This record gives sequence, C-alpha cells and structure tokens, in this order.
Amino acid sequence: MTPLPDDCLARNEWICGVYLSTRRQILLDAVVQHLQLTSVSVLTGLVVAVPLAVLARRWGWAAGPVLAVTTILYTIPSLAMYSLLLPLYGLSAALVVAGLALYSLTVLVRNILAGLRAVPEETRQAARGLGYGPVRLLLAVELPLALPAAMAGLRIATVSAVSLATVGAIVGYGGLGNLIYAGMNSYFKAQVLTASVLCVLIAVAADLLLLAVQRLITPWTRTARA
Amino acid sequence: MRNPRTPALALLALLLLGACAAGPALEDRGQVTAAPGDSGRLTIGSAGFTESDLLAQLYARLLGDAGYRTSILTVANRELYEPALESGRIDVVPEYAATFADWLNAKTHGADAAPVGSPDLGATMKALRALATPRGLTVLAPGRAVDQNAFAVSAAYARRHRLKTLGDLGARKLPVRLAAGDECVRRPYCAPGLRKVYGIHITGIDPKGVGTTQAKRAVQQGRDQMVLTTTTDATLDSFGLVLLADDKRLQNADHVVPVVNRARAGGARVAKALGRLDAVLTTADLAAMNRQVDAARRLPADVARAYLQEKGLTG
Repeated sequence: MTPLPDDCLARNEWICGVYLSTRRQILLDAVVQHLQLTSVSVLTGLVVAVPLAVLARRWGWAAGPVLAVTTILYTIPSLAMYSLLLPLYGLSAALVVAGLALYSLTVLVRNILAGLRAVPEETRQAARGLGYGPVRLLLAVELPLALPAAMAGLRIATVSAVSLATVGAIVGYGGLGNLIYAGMNSYFKAQVLTASVLCVLIAVAADLLLLAVQRLITPWTRTARA
Repeated sequence: MRNPRTPALALLALLLLGACAAGPALEDRGQVTAAPGDSGRLTIGSAGFTESDLLAQLYARLLGDAGYRTSILTVANRELYEPALESGRIDVVPEYAATFADWLNAKTHGADAAPVGSPDLGATMKALRALATPRGLTVLAPGRAVDQNAFAVSAAYARRHRLKTLGDLGARKLPVRLAAGDECVRRPYCAPGLRKVYGIHITGIDPKGVGTTQAKRAVQQGRDQMVLTTTTDATLDSFGLVLLADDKRLQNADHVVPVVNRARAGGARVAKALGRLDAVLTTADLAAMNRQVDAARRLPADVARAYLQEKGLTG
C-alpha cells in the first residue's frame, strides 16, 4: 500500500493551506451557489411578502390568517420542509429556493406589516388632505415610512436564509452546505471549518450590505438623528 | 358584508405563488414505462459517501469518454435518489446488489417482507431485476468489486490464536465482544449469523456503529475483540486490524452494480461504457481509492481519473 503523503490534508488538520489551494474552484463554486440560492429565495420571499403585508394592512381581518400561516410555515423543520416540497419540485435548486422563500415569509410579512402599521394616522390624513389616492398613499407615503422596519426584517430573513441554505445539501443543492455535509461524513476537519467560516462571512457581509442599502434609501432617518 | 372566501383565497394564492416561483414542468418528470432510450445528457447520482462519490466519478468519466455529457448530483440517501432515478431526474446510480434488492423489496412489499438479497449473486441479481424492471429501471451487469459487511480483529489477536477466517474464530471457542451498530443484535448477517453459522461465542455487542473510528479503536485497544466494518474499508491497517474471511458465506452478495433509468440510459452504449469498469475494478482497488480520499484527502474526481488512466480505461 502506498504511504500517505505527509501534508496537512493527510494529517486532517483544522486549518490547512493545501486544502485552500487544491479546492479553490470548488469553494468558489459553492460560494456562488450559496449566494444564488440565498438571494433568489429572499427576493422571491420579498415579492410575495409585500402584497401579503399590504393586504393584511388594508383588511384587518386578513392579518390574523396571513400571520398564522406564515408563522406555521416557519415551524416546519427544514428537513421536513424539503421532503414535503419534493414531490412538487423534484431534486432541483428550485426546491431549496421555494423552501427558503417560504421560511423568509414569516419575518418579512411580520416586519413589513409592523412598518405599515407604524405609519401615524395623522400622516395618512395629511396625505389624503393633499389629494393622495389609495395607491399613491401606499407608494409615496406608507411604504417609504415602513422601510426601516421592512429592512430590519429583510436583514434577519437574509442571514437566516444563508444558514438554512446549507440543509439543501440533502438534495445536492446546498452551496457551502454540500461541503459541510461531505466533510462531516468523512471527518474532514479542514473542509468543515473552511466551509463554515465562509458561511459566516457571507452572512455578515450580506447583513452589512443590507445595512448600507438601508441607510442609502432612508436618508431621513439619519438627518432626524443628527 | 365580508366575503368569507377571501382568506382561503389569500392562503391559496400564497401557496401557489410559492409553487409557481420556479417549479419544474410536469413533462420533466419523465415516463417510467418507456422503451430503452439513449439520452445525450446523463445525470449520475451519488449517495454522498466516499465510495459512492468515487463510483459516480468513475461512471461520469467513462460515460464522458463514450460521448455523453455528464453531471453528478449528490443526494443524502436512497429514499431521495431512488424516486429520482425512476423519474429520470437521475439517470445512473452506483448500487449494491443485495442491499438495493432488499430496499426495493421493502418498498414494494412492505418493511416486513422476507429479504430477497442473499449470499448467492445469481439469485440476488434475479430478484433485483424482477423488482427493478417494473419501476422502469435497468440493472446492468454486476462488477467484481464487493462492498459487503466484514469482520476485523486486531492483527496481534489473529496471530496469537492463529485466525484467518471466521470459521477459525468459531472453532477456537473464544469469547468475543463485537463492536457494531445496535441493529447487529437482530440482523441475520451479524450476531445471530455469527452464532448460528460459525458457532462464535458472542458475549455482547458494543454499540459503536459500523466501521466507525471509535469502534476500531475499541478493538485496537483490546476493549472489544472484533469490529463490524466493510470489505472496502481502507483504514484497517492504520488501526492494526485484519479482516477475517467469510468462509461460510454469511454475507450478502453486495456487488457493485450500475442501475440506470431505462428510458434515458437503458441503451447498449451505456452498458458497454460502464461494463469496461466492471471487468477491471476489484474490491481491493475500491478500498485503495477510498483510502486516497478518506485518509490522504485527495479529491474523488482526481482519484477516479488517476485510476482510469492507470488501468488504460480512458483516453
């Protein structure tokens, strides 16, 4: 039997430069897949959540059922969620995206609705007095004022999607999760640690990016503070 | 008056929006009863453990050489990839004859059905094909490599008691504590079979899992006498363990066998491409490749390519 090479890979060390250099392309592909899964699912969630929150705000009675359903979705364990969606989507990236999008709804709908509810009644009446119709009121007054709360929800939803995406590894679409799972199966320390660290870095970077976007699109919150 | 149907509609819209976001069309799920077909683009499934990854890489490379465009999809377990294989989402999967036959048998006839996998390869293959064909699957010819359960003892213990086979161990009447999974207590290939077929005096099962590091260490340090592992385990050397031969053929015929979706990959070209490997790949080769990946941490793709080049199976 050929002797094992004496490098940090064969010694199974937690931090291994050879791992980084030999797996550069694999790590890059996993990061790209992770970013795609997360961003597409959160955007899909956002597209669904905004009208749901607006509807729940318009018709008070709808708020209860909408919040109940989106919250129940969040309580489904991720493994079970993917199994439940499997007959619908088959083994595909869409399966993971759909699952993550459904999870993001809880936080997004709740936060957007809270933001909409926080718009002062006087502000609304003032806009109506200026001749704003319901659509213009929503687009020009209510939604902008709901932005800080909505963005806070978006940040939470994004960070949780980054971590939940790893579970997609069970169907082969888990981004960095694919590497974490494979590494755990074979006690591959360098792979588990590297992929986990990258996952955390993505979450932190996404959070900071959204924070910057929030400051950019809500300049009034800063001037008010200053 | 409020419309009582609106909440239900909102709920439905919510679910539909989720479903429509990016779901596959129905026609992608394939027809399972079609005649043998030949698709230019094949997806090879891997069950995510090292040997499955390696076999998937070998298959992908051979099929690539035969002119197919290939991709590999790694899925956690058989419960997920077998339905995908039936539907044509996955086209080729490396399987183990007896294990897969028993799995299909349980799926078809319920979990309590009598097992159809046996130590007899011919009978096992016949049972497997009978179960796979109605599901639109074709089982190709089994290879020489076998990944079956195997029992290992420490080299010193084997030397001291002059053991080469499980039969020897039974003849010496030694008390044996076995490191294995807790299901070993009931499985016919494990404790009951060792007692009945070999007359081995099993004093107890140490539930440390099949072939885990802890199980092997327990035997290495003398806390247990024997460990249940597999024939393609490549790390036995580093624990100072040796396999005892299954001389009375207690273990099932778990030969490596490619299973394909008949409508998409049931043609002669696929069978010919994969058949080249089955004639060459041995259990020892598979163990050596597992070691390259699990101990030396080489990439399965690189190990597979090097093997095919060494055996002259790739251009």
